[in-house]
Amino acid sequence: MKKYLVKRLLQIIPVLFIISFVVFVLVYMAGDPVALMLPEDASESDREAMRAALGLTDPFYIQYFRFVGDLVQGNFGTSFRYNQAALPLVLERLPATFELAAASMVVATLMAVPLGIYSARKQNSLVDLFITGGSVLGKAMPNFWLGILLILLFAVNIQVFPVSGRGTIVHMILPAITLGTGIAAEMTRLIRSNMLEILNQDYIRTARSKGVSSNILVYKHAFRNSLIPVVTIMGLQVSHLVSGALITESVFSWPGIGLLLVQAVNGRDMAVVQAAVFVIALLVIVVNLITDLIYRLLDPRINYS
Amino acid sequence: MTENLLEVKNLHTHFFTENGVIPSVNGVSFSVKKGEVIGIVGESGCGKSVTSLSILQLINKPGKIVEGEIRFHEKDLTTFSEKEIRKIRGNKISMIFQEPLTSLNPVFTIGHQISEAIRLHQDVDKKEAKQRSISLLRKVGMANPERQYHAFPHLLSGGMRQRVMIAMALSCNPELLIADEPTTALDVTIQKQILKLMKNLSNELNTSIILITHDLGVIAEMVDRVVVMYGGEIVEENDVYSLFENPKHPYTKGLLNSTPKIHQLKEKLQSIEGNVPTPDQLPSGCNFQDRCPFAMDKCRELSPNLVASTDGSSVRCWLHQEKEVVNV
Ligand SMILES: Nc1ncnc2c1ncn2[C@@H]1O[C@H](COP(=O)(O)OP(=O)(O)OP(=O)(O)O)[C@@H](O)[C@H]1O
Ligand code: SF4
Ligand SMILES: [Mg+2]
Repeated sequence: MKKYLVKRLLQIIPVLFIISFVVFVLVYMAGDPVALMLPEDASESDREAMRAALGLTDPFYIQYFRFVGDLVQGNFGTSFRYNQAALPLVLERLPATFELAAASMVVATLMAVPLGIYSARKQNSLVDLFITGGSVLGKAMPNFWLGILLILLFAVNIQVFPVSGRGTIVHMILPAITLGTGIAAEMTRLIRSNMLEILNQDYIRTARSKGVSSNILVYKHAFRNSLIPVVTIMGLQVSHLVSGALITESVFSWPGIGLLLVQAVNGRDMAVVQAAVFVIALLVIVVNLITDLIYRLLDPRINYS
Repeated sequence: MTENLLEVKNLHTHFFTENGVIPSVNGVSFSVKKGEVIGIVGESGCGKSVTSLSILQLINKPGKIVEGEIRFHEKDLTTFSEKEIRKIRGNKISMIFQEPLTSLNPVFTIGHQISEAIRLHQDVDKKEAKQRSISLLRKVGMANPERQYHAFPHLLSGGMRQRVMIAMALSCNPELLIADEPTTALDVTIQKQILKLMKNLSNELNTSIILITHDLGVIAEMVDRVVVMYGGEIVEENDVYSLFENPKHPYTKGLLNSTPKIHQLKEKLQSIEGNVPTPDQLPSGCNFQDRCPFAMDKCRELSPNLVASTDGSSVRCWLHQEKEVVNV
């Protein structure tokens, strides 16, 4: 297990290099930041001086090495919008994003596990049809649309929830539902099909022939097996979570990394964009690693070598 | 040896699929006495597994027992509630299945799975269940049972897993053990060991066995009485010696064709010309007519009944209908 972990951690290094390169190239191609930094009436020689001072006149690879060198020290440069170092600015927003992500995962799991299991147990019943149809709908619904709909319904028409912002648990409910619904829909579908497959396995028949009751059959023998795919499914949802968070945070003005990134992109605050993208990518890698480890703990058939 | 432990009477189990009704088992009747070992033989698809699963009410949707009785100690199991039948399963009647590789739950240790069976039916605590499981594992010939108790199924070979299945099936001293092709998936030497183990344990515990198999060699070695099935029906039933010495039904003769002597029966069922009719395409008249060398006009029009003779055998064939009709 330890050896496996070390191996996986070592594998992260080249991945990080690729990400750093992609992030750098994106910004390199995004255009001249100097135009935005100086007042409109600055002269061409002022701009030239600014570029030289920022090292923008150096060749591409020198700029890249400088970028990586800074990156290793956690230095992504200064946000000219906030006039602060970019990385702390991004890290500051992490708790808010974590909070939203966790809340939506909880919402999604609470919805998907019972619905998925129930619809598998009642395969082809009316309820099953309803749940399956609902999950298709839930998956097709864009985050911004659902978010705005929820705001209209529950913050404007019936004023039970605040329109935006972060603070109490009440603030969290609408954004978490917005972000959680699509994930729940996907999870429900996968849990259902998984459960159906598992309930047809020989070992379920064996357990039944021992006299195991149908509830224990489902919640112990089958569910324990379906946990493996469920964890994988949850891991796979992380990318949805990231892209969904960008939109959901913008819709609800939720002060997380997503909102920061969207604002930074709009304001061409490149240091912040780089730091945010890098941190998000790192998070995705770490979550995938954790998923993989849980998966291994759950499935005794996988060995760690 | 007189009292009937189990009586299957006129069992009909059908599958109601989207493409129509599949009558997999049609009017099967047989009985098992205390301590008796009976064998069910027949080609693939003739309804052996469906019959055995029907006994414990383990037929899943879209299948259903549409008619018949399963009398166990005189009580009809088909009328039992789910809760009542659970007290029979694994306790009074237990099963061993063909596929040792997939019949154990991969995420629980074998010890846990045996203990679970024990604790479902016996009022013992965890520690006691563990002790019993370990001694069962020792009994079925597992080396180092204390350690193997904690093993996950994937670490064991097919033969070892089948030993675990046997330990589990015998954990509550069942009165009847149904073994559905328990050794088909194993290689020959392991097969022998497993069968010997089953036979010894059942002798020791006086357990009755229904042994389902393709393998006439296994039948010859293991069972007291044989039921031959074809197309969802019983076509012949007799004690093992009479059946091998003097098969009556043309299908049984075909099965035994290349294996004339009981002690030399090592081969699998000799294939008979033609295909097994699927249950949804059974002909009118005798099910075996298309493959039968003795088929007559009558066979194509009317189905023969299963007729019992005074020597305790029964056969379903127009060539043997001179005696009185006993079973339907
Ligand atoms: N779940 C099911 N749905 C539809 N038909 C089924 C189902 N299970 C069994 N059958 C049908 O019932 C018939 C009898 O099947 P069964 O499994 O009892 O055969 P078997 O004698 O045990 O064969 P084998 O030697 O291959 O195990 C088969 O022809 C099959 O088509
Ligand atoms: S009834 Fe006729 S067709 Fe059927 S087995 Fe007997 S002789 Fe053959
Ligand atoms: Mg079978």
